[in-house]
Amino acid sequence: MSMKNISQEKKDMINLSRRSFMVGSMKTSLFMAFGAAAIPSLLSAKESIETKQFSPNIWFEMDTDGNVIVNIAKAEMGQHIGTPIARILADELECDWDKVSIVHVDTDPKWGYMVTGGSWSIFHTYKPMSQAGAAGRMVLIDAGAKLLGVPANSCKAEKGFVISGNKKISYGDIVANGNVDKTFSADELAELPIKPGKKRHLIGVNADYKALDIPPKTNGTAVYGIDVEVENMLYARPILPPTRYGSAVTNVDDSKAKSLPGYKGYKVLTDPSGTIEGWVTVLATDYPTAIKAVDMVKVSYNAGKTANVSEADIQKEGERIVRDRKEGTVFVDEGNIELAQSKAAQTIEALYTTATANHFQLEPLNAIAEFKGGKWHIHTGNQWQSLTLPTVAKAAEVPESDVILHQYYLGGGFGRRLYGDWIVPALLTAKAAGQPVKLVFMRPDDTLFDQPRSASTSLFNASFDENNQFLGMEHALAAGWPTLKMAPGFLAPGVSGEGKVDMFSASGADHWYTMSHHRARAVNNKVAQDTFTPGWLRSVGQGWIVWGLESFIDEVAMKANKDPVDFRLAMLDGKGKQGGKAPESVGGATRLANTLDILKKKTANVKLGADEGIGYSVSAGQERTMPAWLATAAHVHVNKRTGKITVKKLWVVSDAGIVIHPDGAIAQLEGSLLWGLSLALFEHNEVKNGQVSKTNLHTYLPLRMNDVPEMDIELVESEEFPVGLGEPGVIGVAPAIGNAVYQAIGVRLRHLPMLAQHVTAALKA
Amino acid sequence: MIEFTLNGKKVQTDAASDTPLVWVIRDEFGLKGTKFGCGVAMCGACTVHIDGNAIRSCSYPVSLAKGKNVNTIESLNNEHPLQSAWVEEQVPQCGYCQSGQIMQAATLLDRNPNPSDQDIVNHMSANYCRCMAYARIKKAIKRAATSSVQYFDPNASSEGENA
Ligand code: FES
Ligand code: FES
Repeated sequence: MSMKNISQEKKDMINLSRRSFMVGSMKTSLFMAFGAAAIPSLLSAKESIETKQFSPNIWFEMDTDGNVIVNIAKAEMGQHIGTPIARILADELECDWDKVSIVHVDTDPKWGYMVTGGSWSIFHTYKPMSQAGAAGRMVLIDAGAKLLGVPANSCKAEKGFVISGNKKISYGDIVANGNVDKTFSADELAELPIKPGKKRHLIGVNADYKALDIPPKTNGTAVYGIDVEVENMLYARPILPPTRYGSAVTNVDDSKAKSLPGYKGYKVLTDPSGTIEGWVTVLATDYPTAIKAVDMVKVSYNAGKTANVSEADIQKEGERIVRDRKEGTVFVDEGNIELAQSKAAQTIEALYTTATANHFQLEPLNAIAEFKGGKWHIHTGNQWQSLTLPTVAKAAEVPESDVILHQYYLGGGFGRRLYGDWIVPALLTAKAAGQPVKLVFMRPDDTLFDQPRSASTSLFNASFDENNQFLGMEHALAAGWPTLKMAPGFLAPGVSGEGKVDMFSASGADHWYTMSHHRARAVNNKVAQDTFTPGWLRSVGQGWIVWGLESFIDEVAMKANKDPVDFRLAMLDGKGKQGGKAPESVGGATRLANTLDILKKKTANVKLGADEGIGYSVSAGQERTMPAWLATAAHVHVNKRTGKITVKKLWVVSDAGIVIHPDGAIAQLEGSLLWGLSLALFEHNEVKNGQVSKTNLHTYLPLRMNDVPEMDIELVESEEFPVGLGEPGVIGVAPAIGNAVYQAIGVRLRHLPMLAQHVTAALKA
Repeated sequence: MIEFTLNGKKVQTDAASDTPLVWVIRDEFGLKGTKFGCGVAMCGACTVHIDGNAIRSCSYPVSLAKGKNVNTIESLNNEHPLQSAWVEEQVPQCGYCQSGQIMQAATLLDRNPNPSDQDIVNHMSANYCRCMAYARIKKAIKRAATSSVQYFDPNASSEGENA
């Protein structure tokens, strides 16, 4: 599909429930599939299924033994996404959970819009999957009742059987003997009632079950992109240009490499899609030779114009544009902040910054490109096929229908594998070589080609009256914008209808506190934007935005002489726009207040030693339209002599609506809390000479097991609509730590990561 | 020509002597369970056992393996108590680091069937997990340690200290 209709496609995806649903028996299986919103009226369910007249990204099959296969077009990258989706279905279908398995399908434009990111999967599939299960159950009950010779209304379904009094028949036997051919229109499907959370037996806070994708990940049999081979392929490794954009190759000298057995030459890539510029790839019969050859090939360039950009340049531009009110797009404008400021007796201002940070997903980027049967076959793990495919097709100069992305497990995604730009050099190399190519990035190649979390700059200004009463806040925030680069169709208009804003670089500033005067303005940092492709990194904008916001809220509370927790609770009153919306944010800010209140009680009696403190924060990631309500606390110790910050314990209280997979949710929260900690204290990769300065794990130092604190995670029992939990745990950790450091030693840290040298410098000042 | 024993079988390779063992295992012998992450011995995704020691195969030239016993995740046959503990504790997220984590942990239990928390942290802290499944890795090691008096030994002739 083209970029133009991406937003329409996204809407269609969200509106899976606006699709028809077909149930039909075919050969020895029963098929259930989502179809188009409008049903081609001439075809029966059976015929549409037989002729593949459906465009599902999820569908199911049941065989004569009652085994259910759930086909899923979602990327598996550690969130075990197939399992909860299958559970939601199985719960309504009333099939036997032990007979359910999942298959991650290869990706093809015909499956419809494909994206796994933004913690959207559960949010987008809960209702349609529930209704699909309910529809399947109804059909099976009807068919089962006929076979049993009893009225359908005397039957119920349970664990793979249709039961009427003392008669019963298994789903498998119904599939073997029944003749099913039923289509639900989009409207009929949308009207099917779904069970309330209380009635669910396969999902919910108390459901205890294991993820289906885990066993193969304990014995080496799970297949990741990097494990794939195709016949007759060459291996390739890239040589990256000195800048992300605008470099051109002027000369290549491979005379030294020629003596390497297995060396197969190099390609200078020309990219019709404009994704890469100035790339050379080196070919060999085996990968170790390609690794070596890269070091022996000398490439000369005309470097792009960002070749001298440094982190300081990015920060300087950031500060300039947050201070200039003419820059950027206002996306929140409550009350009249200018009036509040003119009446203010006092103000406080603070500038918060974060350093460039990287994904460092463990599986380095890789892809196989093979031209076969008139189509390009791409083998790689990708999160956002529908965004990637048009670019790949453009690079190959073929129609999108001639590209097929084959899906594998992802050795970590975290946002790096959304936009599959790394496929382009693989494809161009294969095209130039006239042979299938497996392109593998060595770790430094991967890091230099990462889409890093942009360095960011946030300016806050709060107004107070003469009694220190808080009046309002102005917030300006600047960074490189991932969406502007990779999916401009998703930019949103500003509050006045003017200008554009990347909500993935703005969400979080549109917080849930009731403030009479509040303005937020997002600005794109063009120096960052030109230097690299800014990335969506786990928790995206909220990760740096809420770090500043929730630290500054503490500063405001201090100025107002209030306890930071009570100050927050008072502003989380759920009034006006903060009251939330059905279905996704029912209760609004009051649910956030509830989590903070629980956390406050839980931490009331923690004993603090010398130079220790507890800090708090609240967050509602990922977006206002899909908030997971989280209150986070950190207990820290600060060594005043060395400046070392030690996090002793992290707490989180989470209300994410009905929890589909509690153990999976806890695993995601454990991982995301530690991500938050790692970004708060350890991870930074300053740009130097146009590129990130640390390219491997001996200099880039994410958290390891020896820095893992105790964690206390509580899931609030809720009947509300389920929202995603894969990322939001990251958000609150950094500000909770910063606030705890202030409590411990009275030092306010305003740069991420918070390093020992910042602490000692602040203590000296 | 370099000869060594891979998961109990004698094998030979013509790879250049400085070829990192990981590529020989993965691409020549097709055992893809051993992963590649950093290439500089800083993540542990490529951990295998060589004569019973946990070794980073990305930084181990194949020539050094000559005459030695190399065992990969596949050699555990899905029978190692760590593997069932990994499922019980639902450890893996993306799973990419887990072959290496399990191989690293196996050499700990080999020598110290009842490790303390600190022993585990000391032994495991050089293994990177980007999904940050550290809490569960630790729990699973404890579970495997307490649940099995007898544990699977992939290499009966193991000796020496951890690498
Ligand atoms: S790949 Fe060997 S330690 Fe990272
Ligand atoms: S489970 Fe993903 S890197 Fe460890």
